[in-house]
Amino acid sequence: MKEIDKLPVRNRKGRELIEKVGSGSLALTSIIGLVFLLILVYQIAKPTIINGEEGEIVAATEFLPISDYILKWDHPSVDEDGNLISEPIILQLAWDDENGSHEHEIEITVISQRNVKENIQLNENGVDTNEVTVGKKTKFYIYSTLNTPVSVHQISGPTPAANETGYPLVNTFVIQSDVSTVFSNGITIEETVAIMSWCLLMVMIFVYVFPNEKMLQPIASISKNHQILRWISLVPFFFFILYEITVFRFFIVLNFFIGLRMLANLSEGIFRLSNQMKPLNDRTLLKHSIVNRDGLMLWARLFFFVSIFFIPLNVHIPFLTERYQDIFQPYSSGIRSAFYGTFWVMGIAMVMAIPVSIGAAIYLEEYAKPTRLTKLIQALITNLAGVPSIVFGLFGLAIFVREGGFGLGFGPSIFAAGLTMGVMAMPIIVLAAQEALRSVPRSIRESAYGIGCTRWQVTKDHVLPSAMPGMMTGTILAMSRIVGEAAPLLVVGAFGAVLFDPEPFAALTDGNINFTVIPIQIYAWTAEPGHEWHAMAAAASIALIAVMISMNSIAIILREYYRRRLNS
Amino acid sequence: MTEENIENDIPPSTRKLNIDGDAEIHIDGLDLWYGTKQALYDVSLPIAKNCVTSLIGPSGCGKSTLLRTINRMNDLIPICRYEGKIVQGETEITAKDADLVGIRKNIGMVFQRPNPFPKSIYDNVAYGVKLHHKPSREQLDSIVEKSLKRAAIWSEVSDRLHDLGTSLSGGQQQRLCIARSIAIEPDVILMDEPCSALDPIATAAIEELILELKKDFTVVIVTHSMSQAARVSDYTGFMYLGRMVEFNKTEKIFSDPDQELTKRYITGRFG
Repeated sequence: MKEIDKLPVRNRKGRELIEKVGSGSLALTSIIGLVFLLILVYQIAKPTIINGEEGEIVAATEFLPISDYILKWDHPSVDEDGNLISEPIILQLAWDDENGSHEHEIEITVISQRNVKENIQLNENGVDTNEVTVGKKTKFYIYSTLNTPVSVHQISGPTPAANETGYPLVNTFVIQSDVSTVFSNGITIEETVAIMSWCLLMVMIFVYVFPNEKMLQPIASISKNHQILRWISLVPFFFFILYEITVFRFFIVLNFFIGLRMLANLSEGIFRLSNQMKPLNDRTLLKHSIVNRDGLMLWARLFFFVSIFFIPLNVHIPFLTERYQDIFQPYSSGIRSAFYGTFWVMGIAMVMAIPVSIGAAIYLEEYAKPTRLTKLIQALITNLAGVPSIVFGLFGLAIFVREGGFGLGFGPSIFAAGLTMGVMAMPIIVLAAQEALRSVPRSIRESAYGIGCTRWQVTKDHVLPSAMPGMMTGTILAMSRIVGEAAPLLVVGAFGAVLFDPEPFAALTDGNINFTVIPIQIYAWTAEPGHEWHAMAAAASIALIAVMISMNSIAIILREYYRRRLNS
Repeated sequence: MTEENIENDIPPSTRKLNIDGDAEIHIDGLDLWYGTKQALYDVSLPIAKNCVTSLIGPSGCGKSTLLRTINRMNDLIPICRYEGKIVQGETEITAKDADLVGIRKNIGMVFQRPNPFPKSIYDNVAYGVKLHHKPSREQLDSIVEKSLKRAAIWSEVSDRLHDLGTSLSGGQQQRLCIARSIAIEPDVILMDEPCSALDPIATAAIEELILELKKDFTVVIVTHSMSQAARVSDYTGFMYLGRMVEFNKTEKIFSDPDQELTKRYITGRFG
């Protein structure tokens, strides 16, 4: 009996199951890709299938112009603690329709926080809420789906500063108010904590990169308690129990977690060094004694970077956070809905395209036998990567937007646009991923097979890590291409003037499907006659470039990490 | 008989396959094709247990192909097909439903170019063990240490086990690959010209190692260097154009070969 046979043996059944499921799902992704591609080829071959008589695309936008009826309360009275001492604002809304006359009172409370906003919806059944809480300096809207005009009276509360020009016949108005708070200079506790978390990360990254004795001494004095530090690093997550989760807070907590975890691992490394009686200032020794140093550095840099890009969400930059207002207010307009539109289109496209195309590439390169069918698929993919984007737009129109035939009937929505863009990115990602897989040296595969790996284990443990940098590059290229692409979305149905935040899954939940993306917004603004709009278009293109650069930087950081792990 | 006649008039594969003691693997009547080109003609060969069997012959004679068929690495080449039988103990390696993972676990392989994984030295050795077994941390540590010691590389890497395996020198990398193979304790180790990319000193180290490994493993080695075959092996097979021209004890082959062709090859008159 050999010594190794005394060890417990790994379950072969599970491994075989994984192998089967793995190759099965890869084949499935390949087939999904193939179906898309074949439909596209069919579509190109039979252009008559898109005939306007069967289904027309109707612009479903309800253009809601801003009202001339603006109520504005400047600096309502507050006491020293920041509490309101005036009466709450009560509005009375009244209208007549076929069900009789309606009258509703709405109590509006202005609070000292920012960005708190509750909109009010009016429909045949009445008002959806009777009390709203609105943050300072926040606009809120009353939306109406009624055909009849609504009259608005203010019953109590401070007198608005704006002029009242009769009852509005339009159905939106804006209440602006400002509450002076304790932190009157604009810094809140949240922002202070965020800055602290960034400082922690910055210091830890610095210590990791340039360890010097002065900075290591205080950590060395607590290094016996590195286990406790490890537990402390989990503490920030408890704040999620106490407070509501927002994207910004999420990053603050993760920053703290990574920073404290780095501190814990560093002190553990120092602890080991001091146990071996080695000097603290030996950089290479210290580097090797820190558990998972590279991984922690990666996450720290990534979060540091990403959370800085989330500052605009919390700091007021009107151009990014304001909606498109109307044709007469160029400089108060912003690209908020276009920004969100781009974000969602990208997100949906990537979620769809990356798994399918990487899976298809792995299947074609590692699993599929070189039959005529695979050669045909290969030729199709290579040609598709060069197909003009407008053709993909028509494809999206026929498959995702239209109903009937092959159409899935998502309407001119973000969901359809995201899927279209995903299909456009697929051949590019597949080709790049295949190229990356092909460049993995044969010897790595052979040595893995030689010690008894299954095909999936070879792919997962050896081929994919080596091919990862190349795949990342391909994905970056595809992303950059679709982020700046306007042509397919013109066909799919993006609008130039969208007032509200887009709803990504509106097509599935029957919501408001209107959307726009930054390139389309730029196109629409350059088409305006006023030169102010041209300035806005230029600003929007800078925003577009910033979005692209930030995305690419994240990908580059990841790529460098993988590359260094392979080569160093 | 002119030289050309001897080289064109190829004798069929030999059936004179006597060995002392038990055979670990029997190869029986193996024909192999790459597409339409036949690479092996009716090759039979016994591989003696706990001995070193070497395969020699000029380039392109099918030595490596034969070696790679023993652990079915040729299955990775889609156009390759074969007929014939290879049997190890009671397992039929060439069976259609054979368990490839089990076969490759029992028959390890060392390649021509050192090809450690781009992982740490420790992980290179531990990976195979973790693939098939569920060892504890201590068991794994001891297996890694033992394998590296047996591959005669422990003293050189013991203080940098967590450096990348690819950062070692060529000879060290090859010994690391041997350590990786013997960590999962196979019955047979196949070596495909293990020294062709190495300098004389590293070659000497590997040859010493092969003689050491013979005690626990059965070794099959493909080599271009006849002196190496003479130094390390107990049995030698001479192949020519896909035929196993002659198989015998190494001393016999190198002192008094039966075939004229073998004699001409080992005296360096062609090949």
